[in-house]
Amino acid sequence: MAADSKSQALDIDHDTLREIYRQMSRIHEVDKAIQAGLSSGKFQFTYWPMTGQECIPASIAPLVTSDDHMVTIYRGIHDQVAKGVPLKGLFAEALGRVDGVNKGKGGSPHISDPNSGSMLTTAIVGAGAPIANGLALSDMMRGTDKVTIVNFGDGATSIGAVHEAMNLAGVWKLPVIFMCQNNQMGEYTHIPDYTASKDFASRAEGYGFKGVKLDGNDPVAFHNGMKGIIDEVRGGNGPIFVEALTCRLGPHAGVGDTNHLSKEDLAAAKAAAPVPSTRALLLEQGICTEEELTAIDEAARAEVAEAVEFGLSCEVTGEDEMLLDVYADPSVVPVRGQREKRAEEAPHTGETREMAMFQAIQDAQETALELDENVIFLGEDIGESGGVFRCFQGMQEKWGERIRPTPIAEQAIIGAATGSALMGMRPVAEIMFSDFMGVCLDQVTNHAAKQRYMSGGATHVPMTIRTVAGGGIGGFGAQHSQSTEAWLLHMPGLKVVYPSTPSEAKGLLLSCIFDEDPCVQYESMMLTYATKEEVPLGDYRIPLGVAKVKREGTDISLITYGWQVMHCLNAAEELAKEGISAEVIDLRTLLPLDYERVLSSVEKTGRALVVHAATEFCGLGSEIAATINEELFGKLKAPASRFGAAYAPIAYSKLIETAQIPHAGTIAQRVRELIG
Amino acid sequence: MSTSLTIPKLQMSTTEGTLAEWLVDDGAVVEEGQPIYSLETDKSVQDIESPAAGKLTQKAEAGETYDVGTEIGIITPE
Repeated sequence: MAADSKSQALDIDHDTLREIYRQMSRIHEVDKAIQAGLSSGKFQFTYWPMTGQECIPASIAPLVTSDDHMVTIYRGIHDQVAKGVPLKGLFAEALGRVDGVNKGKGGSPHISDPNSGSMLTTAIVGAGAPIANGLALSDMMRGTDKVTIVNFGDGATSIGAVHEAMNLAGVWKLPVIFMCQNNQMGEYTHIPDYTASKDFASRAEGYGFKGVKLDGNDPVAFHNGMKGIIDEVRGGNGPIFVEALTCRLGPHAGVGDTNHLSKEDLAAAKAAAPVPSTRALLLEQGICTEEELTAIDEAARAEVAEAVEFGLSCEVTGEDEMLLDVYADPSVVPVRGQREKRAEEAPHTGETREMAMFQAIQDAQETALELDENVIFLGEDIGESGGVFRCFQGMQEKWGERIRPTPIAEQAIIGAATGSALMGMRPVAEIMFSDFMGVCLDQVTNHAAKQRYMSGGATHVPMTIRTVAGGGIGGFGAQHSQSTEAWLLHMPGLKVVYPSTPSEAKGLLLSCIFDEDPCVQYESMMLTYATKEEVPLGDYRIPLGVAKVKREGTDISLITYGWQVMHCLNAAEELAKEGISAEVIDLRTLLPLDYERVLSSVEKTGRALVVHAATEFCGLGSEIAATINEELFGKLKAPASRFGAAYAPIAYSKLIETAQIPHAGTIAQRVRELIG
Repeated sequence: MSTSLTIPKLQMSTTEGTLAEWLVDDGAVVEEGQPIYSLETDKSVQDIESPAAGKLTQKAEAGETYDVGTEIGIITPE
């Protein structure tokens, strides 16, 4: 070979092409080892083969470093290998072993390896795109030139999360590359059967940025194309969508051949696949000798064999890990019979000012912004207009880009919060009404909530969501009035608070913002403007998981939260006139739940009624009542019970709404029945 | 180190498979990647390649159906 390191015919540096092939060979050996392990019965896990798609990440690898971020999907083992996830940890993880990169708790579909920049892997099609925006947002706000590449298949282009993410990335000019690996099939469905679009790259234009179609099986063309694209995105010119054309040779899941090609076409596709064709190219061009290529392949084979052996030698992750990594602090996990006693807040002695809840929330938000430069706010209409609930008045003017009004796109909002939280920011997202949690529930529960656990503690999501429950004041109707906390309490990984006073809204919100786990604060519309009180100024926090007795009593414990605290206090006042002494306990935090203070109160009174505005059936009240009955069975004067909303959507009619949600009159009536 | 051959879980829904046919004789020396037996599941018939090179010892009869994980043979390095 001449000293000239560039081939006459190929517009690529020889070392680069050799390196691309080396990565392809590593991916190919990983794929082969997994398939061999599954075929021989040595491994038993679900595999989504990426056979045929090796060229895409292999060609990107020389253009990025571990400082650049990647998000991929369950099929993305090739992406992980090329990004630099250690193969030993990768195999141990796929085998569910304790030395896996994620302690065997995530498995191959949920790899997170921050050391290599592989931040999150989702098994929910398309759901990585909104989170990638958050990674890119943190990089952009911190003034770096890092890029984030989010990989997904052509099948993911149909789902809303990808569209929401593309729209947000466009308007915020985020340094993110949407890498659509078009492998010709959406799971088992042919492209023309799921979209009328002529291609995928042209969709980007609709969102105001560039879409590029590249041959994802040609290492030279793809590498060169990506070089320009990555440089452009690094330069701060906003996102780019890449449609990388390739061909999946395996089935959607399992071992075997794809079902979308005829026998002849499959044979042709296998012959033209990037691994053998790149190898042949290196030989033809005289860039590598057969011996050199064999050495590359042998080295890859040895690396993989060692990784497989390591994986199999590790212990299967044991039961002792079950409740670890759900939260930073394992004592947050509710375990029947466990009564964790947490210290309550010290009495406030400093300055105060009279505020309504919406003002106390703004005060908490301003305090958080002052305390930590990583705090940012995202939400609909939180800019100039000052927020729909008036919690952001004048804030954008004062804090600039740290106050980020968003499109009306809740998945994009939560994804951006999750991704930036993964990078150590402390994002706070406003989801206007708690009923809207439904449109972003996947991002909240499958991603933010589960990420610490799925990553075996390698990553965590210190984000906060604020949301308003609109019920009790009439006129908002079925889709703006629900109290949806039970949805979230059923999904391990989230903390939930539900304040009933302005001071507590401030104190709990600040604790949430500086907590290491994802937190959700429910705010009641009924309390947002109605009540005012003296609120502590400055960094005032109320510890999570500490309930508070709001009225002492001896005959029954009314356990409640949010705006039902007010109704319970009114009911207690009414009952007192009849000689019934009701104690009112405000939970304040629903998870971690303060069983110590709840059970202590019921030990004293011998009776309990849990009251909430959420639907009674399968609500938190049922859980608490059941626990009281089990824990204090011999000490109770009557079975603990619960009282929530009737099993119907919240009605528009004021008469129905008043009747269907507990209020002082109906609560007092239930208490009389219980005391009998 | 010898390699155990067990009925694989090739698809999510696979719980058992029929060892339709041994493609090489008992005691034969096989190459890694060489098709060694034919596996029939509810979805397909597929030739299974040897995960290792070595001498094949058959431990199960062809024509029978076995649960996933059942050992049907061993490959011993020569």
